[in-house]
Amino acid sequence: MFGDGVVRGADVESLWRRDMGTRCEAKSCQTGEISTVEAAVQSHSSRDAGMQTDQSEETIQDLDLQKEAPVDYAGLLSFLQGVEDVVIKELNKNWRSHAFDGFEVNWVDQNETVSCLHSLLYPEAQDQKLQVTSISWNATGSVVACSYGRLDDGDWSTEKSYVCTWNLDRRGLNPKRPDLVVDVPSSVMCLAFHPSQPSLIVGGLYSGEVLIWDTSRIEDPLIWRTGMTDDTHTDPVYQVDWLQDSKHSHHFQILSVSTDGKILVWQTQRDGQLMLVEGFALVAQQIPRSMKLKRTRGETAVGVTSLSFSHFDPSVFIIGVEGGYALKCSTAVETAAVPRTVSSIPLKAPAQFAFSPHGGPVYCVSCSPFHRNLFLSGGTDGHVHLHSMLQAQPLISLQLSKKYLFSVRWSPVRPLVFAAATGEGEVQLFDFGKSSQKPAVSIKQASAQTPVYCIEFNIKQTQLLAAGDASGMLKIWQLSSDFIQQGPREMNHLEQLANEVTD
Amino acid sequence: FRPCPIATVARRESRSHAGDSSCASLAMAEVEETLKRIQAHKGVIGTIVVNAEGIPIRTTLDNSTTVQYAGLLHQLTMKARSTVRDIDPQNDLTFLRIRSKKHEIMVAPDKEYLLIVIQNPCE
Repeated sequence: MFGDGVVRGADVESLWRRDMGTRCEAKSCQTGEISTVEAAVQSHSSRDAGMQTDQSEETIQDLDLQKEAPVDYAGLLSFLQGVEDVVIKELNKNWRSHAFDGFEVNWVDQNETVSCLHSLLYPEAQDQKLQVTSISWNATGSVVACSYGRLDDGDWSTEKSYVCTWNLDRRGLNPKRPDLVVDVPSSVMCLAFHPSQPSLIVGGLYSGEVLIWDTSRIEDPLIWRTGMTDDTHTDPVYQVDWLQDSKHSHHFQILSVSTDGKILVWQTQRDGQLMLVEGFALVAQQIPRSMKLKRTRGETAVGVTSLSFSHFDPSVFIIGVEGGYALKCSTAVETAAVPRTVSSIPLKAPAQFAFSPHGGPVYCVSCSPFHRNLFLSGGTDGHVHLHSMLQAQPLISLQLSKKYLFSVRWSPVRPLVFAAATGEGEVQLFDFGKSSQKPAVSIKQASAQTPVYCIEFNIKQTQLLAAGDASGMLKIWQLSSDFIQQGPREMNHLEQLANEVTD
Repeated sequence: FRPCPIATVARRESRSHAGDSSCASLAMAEVEETLKRIQAHKGVIGTIVVNAEGIPIRTTLDNSTTVQYAGLLHQLTMKARSTVRDIDPQNDLTFLRIRSKKHEIMVAPDKEYLLIVIQNPCE
């Protein structure tokens, strides 16, 4: 029935590999030959060069007269020959003509009187009986700043004082409320606004420090200070001024003058410090003796109370000293000062020429903005001397007051006019063209016991004159029209005055 | 027998061509002389010669002042001339004088040039 049997298994051959084999193709590829070339390069010569742009002061248009327009000389000659006679006839007629003598034209409304526009005061300062020690107008002529302190106090005071600014062009000007009040720990003796940046103002303190404020910062206007280092002045700083910006740096340079005999130049640094960069020291034995002056011991310092730079030569300046005379100095000197105190920068002796003395300390000097040789000096003897830098004797000596004279300033528009602040509470305006004996206008600012300490003309709005007195009041005066416009012959008159130098 | 007139003319022309450069320098010297004479008169501060486009071609003042005077006075002279001719078309501007507080400016106009003289008439 059933039996065992072995059946061979069924085999199915794989066709996959054969199929794959029929479909595959063998290919090979290889990149083409890469061509390479070797080359070497080296510069033959090298040179280092540096470039820097220079700040150009003014764009001077270069007139290349010869090359630009080809000039037809023959045509030009015939033109000139034709007009020459006519022009020369007119020139001669003009020279001899009297047609315009005394002919004056008024383009603006004439204002005949001097009037007080504003009386500004700060009640806190008045309560402390502080006096106005210094005034400054800012670069735009719309803000006036004044500093309070004491000028009649001989003691070392630690009472704090203020610097206040008012913007006169603002509507709603409140004369009793300044726009900005800065508290200062010591009396401020002098102020100066920056000549082109309207918000920077520098002040010199009774303690010898110099501080710079930025009036556009409300929270903390103080931005630079000298601090109390070995270089700082040891006496009150009576005058500060801004030096012209040096062309290659963004730092400002300030000059400070003090009765310790030193004139120091400070530079602003990034960390809020003022660093001493240059200095001058006045020592009695280095004063040039052009006249017989009282003998003082050789190494005593000569206290400097005021300084004025010449408007024509920026390295020449005039200083007034406590000894009662004025000195002509230069920043370009090389002689070192006889050292008395240690200082980080070597101090130089700047004095070149001494002028004849007043009867008391000189509190103010002012160089004329219209003539390179003339300057005024006023002192405690109540006299104002008009000096020429070429001779020691004054050209004109005027007695303006029986008390002290605290400030004299040349007018910025009229070459023959200057203003003086007297101890009798008056501001006197003097005009050399009208009378050389008595003042043209005498403005009564305060009572006869209250001296006027400082006056400043406003360079931008030339009819304004600010005056500060000992009662803490700052008055803004509007001058009459004849003090604002230059007359036709004024420069010649000034030249004549300056030429009266005796040989 | 007359010499050919054309030939004579040609010879004259060639002579003037040869002397052209010397004529120009002669004219230049005379121009300088004339300007110096005007400048030497009493009280004259400066002299400027301006061409028809308002570009100064001779001056005794510094560049910036010259450019200022030339531009402004050229415009003023054109305006003055048009004023005179508007009032009377047969008339024309011969001379312009401006008197100011400090000095007097005199302008002599022409078709191609303008002479400006600034004088300080101080007695």
